[in-house]
Amino acid sequence: MADTVGTEALHAWIREFARLIAEHKDLLTELDSAIGDADHGVNLHRGMSAVVEVLAKETPGRPGELLKRTGMTLVSTVGGASGPLYGTAFLRMSAIAGDAETLDGADLARVLRAALDGVVARGKAQAGDKTMYDALAPAVESLEESIAAGQPLGEALDGALRAAEQGRAATIAMVARKGRASYLGERSAGHQDPGATSVTLLVAAAAAALA
Amino acid sequence: MVGLVVVSHSRALARAAVTLAAEMAAGARIEIAAGLDETTLGTDATAIVDALVAADDGDGVVVLMDLGSAVLSAELALELIDDDLRSRVLLCPAPLVEGLVAAAVTAASGAGRDEVAREATEGLLGKLSQLSPAPVPEDSGAAMATVTVENPHGLHARPAARLVTEARRLDAGLEVRNRTTGSPWVPATSLSRVATLGALRGHEIDVRASGPGARAAVDEIVAVAARRFDETPPELDKISEWGGSVPVDLDLIEGNTTDTGVRRGQGASAGIGIGPAWRRSNTPPPVPDVPSRGTEVEWRRVEDAVAAVRLEIDKIWAGSQEAGIFDAHLLLLDDAELLGEVRQRIEDGQAAPQAFQGAAARIAAEFDTLEDPYLRGRGDDVHAVSDQVLRAMLGISGAAATGDGILVAADLTPAEAATLDPERVLGVLLAFGSPTSHGAILARTRGIPMVVGAGPAVLSVPHGATVVLDGTTGEFAIAPPESVAAAFRDRAAERSTRTNRAATRAGQPAVTADGVTVLVAANVGSVADARAAAAHGADLAGLVRTEFLFLDRDAAPSIDEQIAVYREIGEALGGRRITLRTLDVGGDKPLRYAPAPAERNPFLGVRGIRRSLAYPGLFADQLVAIARVARDMPVSVMFPMVSTVAEVIAARRMLDEAIGRAGHAEGLRVGIMIEVPAAALRSAAFTPYIDFVSVGTNDLTQYTLAAERGNAALSADGLDPAVLRLIQLVGTQAGVPVAVCGELAADEAAVPLLTALGVRELSVAPPAVPLVKEAVRGIRLELAGPLAEQACGLADANAVRALLKPGNVHSGR
Repeated sequence: MADTVGTEALHAWIREFARLIAEHKDLLTELDSAIGDADHGVNLHRGMSAVVEVLAKETPGRPGELLKRTGMTLVSTVGGASGPLYGTAFLRMSAIAGDAETLDGADLARVLRAALDGVVARGKAQAGDKTMYDALAPAVESLEESIAAGQPLGEALDGALRAAEQGRAATIAMVARKGRASYLGERSAGHQDPGATSVTLLVAAAAAALA
Repeated sequence: MVGLVVVSHSRALARAAVTLAAEMAAGARIEIAAGLDETTLGTDATAIVDALVAADDGDGVVVLMDLGSAVLSAELALELIDDDLRSRVLLCPAPLVEGLVAAAVTAASGAGRDEVAREATEGLLGKLSQLSPAPVPEDSGAAMATVTVENPHGLHARPAARLVTEARRLDAGLEVRNRTTGSPWVPATSLSRVATLGALRGHEIDVRASGPGARAAVDEIVAVAARRFDETPPELDKISEWGGSVPVDLDLIEGNTTDTGVRRGQGASAGIGIGPAWRRSNTPPPVPDVPSRGTEVEWRRVEDAVAAVRLEIDKIWAGSQEAGIFDAHLLLLDDAELLGEVRQRIEDGQAAPQAFQGAAARIAAEFDTLEDPYLRGRGDDVHAVSDQVLRAMLGISGAAATGDGILVAADLTPAEAATLDPERVLGVLLAFGSPTSHGAILARTRGIPMVVGAGPAVLSVPHGATVVLDGTTGEFAIAPPESVAAAFRDRAAERSTRTNRAATRAGQPAVTADGVTVLVAANVGSVADARAAAAHGADLAGLVRTEFLFLDRDAAPSIDEQIAVYREIGEALGGRRITLRTLDVGGDKPLRYAPAPAERNPFLGVRGIRRSLAYPGLFADQLVAIARVARDMPVSVMFPMVSTVAEVIAARRMLDEAIGRAGHAEGLRVGIMIEVPAAALRSAAFTPYIDFVSVGTNDLTQYTLAAERGNAALSADGLDPAVLRLIQLVGTQAGVPVAVCGELAADEAAVPLLTALGVRELSVAPPAVPLVKEAVRGIRLELAGPLAEQACGLADANAVRALLKPGNVHSGR
């Protein structure tokens, strides 16, 4: 339990995210086949595998650099809309991390808030549009509140994960208003959103690796 | 020269588009950023950066994209390049192929960046003018359609609420107007404005929207209108469920006077009411004359009061079948028109109560100017909501005052029906209204006898005059002669004797007049239902719907949790047998922890036993839990939606494994539900593997007649001779005891028929148990048998219902 995290911990986070994506690749693809073009699992898996390979070859020295490398690799390897969305998220995180050697809880909250802002800027998604926003936003809000209330980072991330899971569950009932799922209109209701599912894995990876 | 960049998911597509453009403008400079490689579809922001750099010679770059991630990646690429280059790049929304051709030609001519982009965007014009005879409208992106209102009462509360809900969801600036009356356009998102259209049956309504989703939004509204705004059909088939037994005469015979002074409206809620007339006073709560304490304070009072009322409505009706009735009220609480005016009045210096009352009164007055009496009555909804909010705001507790005796009124709002005290209100007589109205449904659930459509003359009944009414036949009389009053008292006595007799004998077995015992069981969906079943004398639980344990949660219930709940249900039934139906869900009821692929038609998809077999882990756990409980108490297990013998064999094999894990359970019986015609037709083939069958008449009817019960345009009556023949086949061929657990089992008229067809267990909602037992006791099979034969040969369900008039099958009271 450390309340600051360095490059190594963040690297572990990215690897854990890649592992979770690999493990849930079929689920993501299945969810996406219900309401999208069935490529979310495959695309993210391709992107995160490339990230793991790039980072293994040469691990950057500082958090900001690690996040930037991750983002740039994603934008050129994912292919689908999750490429620019996750890419933007990591690049915005990198900008906030700057040259810092380590990040504390409040830094992490700011970093993830920047990721959320990046997703909004890129995807123009709002609450209730049935997108990754609906899982990421409650996670970021929960993290900010827990950190502000002085909770240890581990507990704060666990809380963020629960918030993300609730947000993810809430997407089932929503009608998609963004992306290809929006072509389905009402018929998109009743299905869990693949983007909300994968971003919940990102939060789960953080809770596992950063606490 | 302005450079061009093509961003596409597909490298092949981008190359082909460039070839096409180059034929028109060989000199243009075009770079490609498309696909992740030769064959992998996708877009790559870093490749776009490279293409931008390559395409720029200082004169700027125009980017054309296909869709989705192409746009997102291009936007991201802009973030990744330096400010100098970014200032020269323009992302162009033109269609890829047409836009690229136009842009290439323009760029090759030496035009500037903005002109290239403009030409590209207009690249679609040629095709548009070729294909659409009319000129392109200036508000392109707008859409319009006309629909005809087919609902019997026009666009009244519930259909209007449906329209508004849909319009808000679609968020496309939808507007509507009544073409027939030439009304102005009003926002479709405001219930109060929509209601002012005065849209009656047969009126034509124009619908329009603007913006990118306009066409889809208008189409959606057209579809909703075609479904009659999802208004449920007249719920005659539900009346038996509510306790009535005689079909209501649909033709309104208003004020049909007979010699005795007895007139006839429509029966809306069964029972006899006798008592003094009272009228409700429509006095709104007194509003104290207190000056405003400032805009924000007063506005917060409004918000708090509205939230409190919303909570109150939610609390009373959450989860009940009647919840939808209050949709109109909930929408009013949210109505932009109403709240906007309240806000305005507060900003003008009024205190919250005055502002709310004033705004509500103004909107209610708009309803009052409408021609149609039914729609005019909707102003009552506004008054009711307004009074409720004012009470909350002023801290006046309690509902509107209620009188003693027979309430006489023009109509009854749901809120009023909900607050009537059945102890004091002995009956309701309405000048207007209908048996399918929300108020009537609530009166039935509250057990208050009600007659509707009695005619406006009843509104002049003097206060305190004696009124008698029969909510079954629709008969009523005002200040009747003693002979008539006595006749109504006799009816009341007979009815109460019958109900009392049913109640006192509820615990005894139901045996026909010729000595055949029919088990009357209860359908149970919770522990509370199980307690109610025991209280109403059910012989057993004929159907325990285990879904309540599985839905709306993030993880499947553990074996231990299931055991605890099944045991609790068994204990609530005091040792009587419980029939646990294994999980019966399909693609329409998603389980978060066991997501299923989308299906085009979930009702013909992987559901019931099919789904359990597809998720063996979940199924095995449930079977182990059932087998464990069966060691301690009498338990039956039942598989839903069986269609083939192979499914039953597979399920039994899993059950055997579960028993291996749980230990042998002596009394465990195994059955299947017959809901699919295939299973009914081959019921004998299942005999070796089962101990009983239970016919689910609701689904069997739907699957047999290919008619959904909720579809107003179709008749899906379980008394259809085709369904009866299938039940008869099961009764003669199954070789094991036959139960019925659909709605038909609670239909007292159908009980003799089902018994004659070989059914020996009827499983019904707990409160229906006593009267179904009484119905069984009245059967003489020597009469019912030939009648059942005859019913199976009739033309349709209506003919069967006519045949089943009381007296034809019963031995008499």
